Amino acid sequence: MISIVYALLFYVASILLVVGLGMKIWRYATTPAPLKIPTMPAPLTKAGVGFRLFREVAFFESLFKSNKWIWLFGYIFHVALLVVLLRHLRYFQSDVWWWVKLIQPFGIYAGFAMVFALSALLARRFLVERIRYISSPSDYLMLLLLIGIGASGLAMKFVSHTDIIAVKIYMLGLMRFQIGDLPTHPALLIHLALVALLMIIFPISKLLHGVGIFFSPTRNQVDDSRTKRHIAPWAKKLEEGEDR
Amino acid sequence: MKKLLILVLMIFAFFSTAVLAQSLFPNIPKATGNEHPQGNEFMRINHMDMLRHERDMTMREGIRDVDNSLAQCISCHVVKGTDSKPVTIESEEHFCRVCHDFAAVKLDCFSCHNSVPEEGLKTSFKHPDANGSLNAVMAYLEETAK
Repeated sequence: MISIVYALLFYVASILLVVGLGMKIWRYATTPAPLKIPTMPAPLTKAGVGFRLFREVAFFESLFKSNKWIWLFGYIFHVALLVVLLRHLRYFQSDVWWWVKLIQPFGIYAGFAMVFALSALLARRFLVERIRYISSPSDYLMLLLLIGIGASGLAMKFVSHTDIIAVKIYMLGLMRFQIGDLPTHPALLIHLALVALLMIIFPISKLLHGVGIFFSPTRNQVDDSRTKRHIAPWAKKLEEGEDR
Repeated sequence: MKKLLILVLMIFAFFSTAVLAQSLFPNIPKATGNEHPQGNEFMRINHMDMLRHERDMTMREGIRDVDNSLAQCISCHVVKGTDSKPVTIESEEHFCRVCHDFAAVKLDCFSCHNSVPEEGLKTSFKHPDANGSLNAVMAYLEETAK
């Protein structure tokens, strides 16, 4: 029974994540950016913009320039999350890639780093008065959700194990639309339910900053306003109509 | 939106016809000897804690008199190769490796311990002189200290 509930949960969550994210990306991509507003100094070429976005995604450059503490914990969290996600790839491939095997031991340290950094970010929401004043429920919810995922995952490693062979067989089955038996281990069920919840709310939450960064006019525009006129299609139509 | 739904359903239909290959799953070899008193499920989940090298206990305090020994695991869970000899950890057929490879969990027991059963030995050290005899270990240490 639980196996079927979780299978449906993951199918629904996957569809909502992929379709929802696709719709959001489409909306971002088709939203007009009528003004030339790159944050200066901005790159003069398209390749330069690519490099700027790369620095933004890989090093969180803007955040580093604006706040060192948030950058430190935010960066630790994001890198740790990446390593942890890569470590989890082993549950979804029958022949595990060599570099995924290599990354396994680091994933455990990353799990701790992730929960530590998230706790620091949560503490910031409580302890810094200005931040407490502007924090909304969703700010807390995202942090608590991610902490819950990390803590339940670590609990399975260090407190009470589950049968990971059975889990992997279940997951490989799900990917081939066959529902097997999921172990009914409390930490596992909590872990998976929280992950599914994260997938479901991802396209309608602040977590969209992960794709939103690529569509930020202040980051993705070239500084060429003196060589090339920036005009939105609708504005161009209006201008052409002037001759009427 | 309607088109999208149809597309999703088509993808579902395509994949649901694919048959799940049995070779995806680990083929766990049968063991000899008595069943585990705690049951197989318990062993699957907790064998690593039972086997964990209690470094302070075994190495510093010299307590070797524990209930669970790797040598015992190895002797029941032996897998015979085509030459009807026990296969070592080098072989993918080895009992431990079947699941450990599947889950991508590294095994480091066998860099010191023997991965095949040996007659009349209570411990599983690779170095033949180190098996249980303190004198042999001391002699080995003295020899290497020179």
